[in-house]
Amino acid sequence: MIHQFTAIWKFRHFLMALIKLDLRLRYRRSVFGIGWSLLNPIAMTIVFCVVFSSLLGNGDWRSYAPYLLAGMAVWAFLRDSALQGCRSLISNEAYIRQSPLPYGLYPLRTVAGQAIHFGIAMFVVLALCLILLPQRLELLKVIPYVIPGLALAFIFAWSVATITSFVNVYFQDTQHLLDVGAQIMFFLTPIMYPASTLTKQGLQWLLDINPANLYLELIRTPLIEGTPPSLQLYAVGVVVTGCFVGLALGTVAWLQKRVIFHM
Amino acid sequence: MAKIDLDNVGLTFTIRQNKQITLKEYIVRGLMFRSGKSAGMKVHALNGVSLQAADGDRIGVIGHNGAGKSTLLKLLAGIYPATRGRCKVEGRICSLFDITLGFEGDASGWENITYRSYLQGESPTTLKKKMQSIADFSELGEFLDVPVRYYSAGMMMRLAFSIATAVDPEVLLIDEVLATGDLAFQAKARARMNEIKNNAQLMVLVAHDLDTIRAMCNRVLWMQHGAVHMSGPSNPVIDAYIRSVQNAPPVAAAA
Repeated sequence: MIHQFTAIWKFRHFLMALIKLDLRLRYRRSVFGIGWSLLNPIAMTIVFCVVFSSLLGNGDWRSYAPYLLAGMAVWAFLRDSALQGCRSLISNEAYIRQSPLPYGLYPLRTVAGQAIHFGIAMFVVLALCLILLPQRLELLKVIPYVIPGLALAFIFAWSVATITSFVNVYFQDTQHLLDVGAQIMFFLTPIMYPASTLTKQGLQWLLDINPANLYLELIRTPLIEGTPPSLQLYAVGVVVTGCFVGLALGTVAWLQKRVIFHM
Repeated sequence: MAKIDLDNVGLTFTIRQNKQITLKEYIVRGLMFRSGKSAGMKVHALNGVSLQAADGDRIGVIGHNGAGKSTLLKLLAGIYPATRGRCKVEGRICSLFDITLGFEGDASGWENITYRSYLQGESPTTLKKKMQSIADFSELGEFLDVPVRYYSAGMMMRLAFSIATAVDPEVLLIDEVLATGDLAFQAKARARMNEIKNNAQLMVLVAHDLDTIRAMCNRVLWMQHGAVHMSGPSNPVIDAYIRSVQNAPPVAAAA
């Protein structure tokens, strides 16, 4: 197990060079460049604010917009890491056939690229929160408490990408199933609406079993409310992330000698 | 200290008739056709291959198409794990397989030098010293600024070979790539491989051009249908292979 990580560390230059290449390629020949990665969440936020706040009268857009944007940013990171990560082994087949690198490196390439976009989005979220929300001082104090949540989300995303990329080699319709699954989960996760909507209907269990909700609680809630997450929530986060890490390591250990025969 | 130690190695592939199994098929087959045999064709790519090699050996691998030569190289590189037997390769491995593999098409030649070098385990500091010598050896000049997708097969091979041999490998594995180089480059490649030979390292070369094998290798492995048919010093084995090809009726495809 440790061997996976030491091997990835050994090839860190290769990994970083490819991540830089991915970033450059994503925005070559585009005017805004990396600004485009913000467009989707910002556009969705504007649309949802207009629809839900003004048209449906859901409340003040000043508090709704940061809530929405933060939720969209986290969700986009988790979703894109899973959807693009599940193709990572297949799209890196050329390298796999050339050199026996650790398999965890390829999902990491995708997830690290997504994390960079997520980081940029979070800066915008922070700016929006500082501008629109009243409790500015608490917000600044709470920022260090969000960082463990971000780290846990990254590790979770990497684990999910690893698991799905192995499964996708065996069953190539995994990526389509994940597409549909992500759409469904978007509506079942409190991104557009507050979590209280679900609890009021007695659907607390939906929130409890949803791992995405956990990371939203760890990242979005402190930024919106200005209070750091409780120690208990951190513990839950560590345990859940640890479970996924365990699953990912197990998948790699079980399948790494076999997956090449199925590519 | 480079070393190859293969002990009765076997490698079996199970090839499905249609490669893409969907989840639905898998479940249906499991629920409805529990006793159905799996639609797979077993290919024994390698069968009982034993090989001992140490520093200074330059091994050529010859044989008919589908004999298992490339599979043997991939096994040595660590890409395929052996399904039977024991496989141990010690030393820094550098492999040169399909030249188009592992190039990022949209990146320039210079950038691909960095990617491939990092793939082979270099770090930015060690690479900086070698960058210019790699570029000079490849003789691609200003084409190095052009994205690699516009290169010809020969240009890619030059680039890949320059990078692979610049790493100072202890074990060099080459799979039939030299054929696309032009005459001048083939001479250069031969010279560089002689250099490597003189540094007491290990080289395994798969080629169909028997003169290349004669010139560069001191031992030859003749493979047939996944097994080693004959192995020994280059000239006797190559002559036996030529005789068998000239005399024998058309050989059946890999069983």
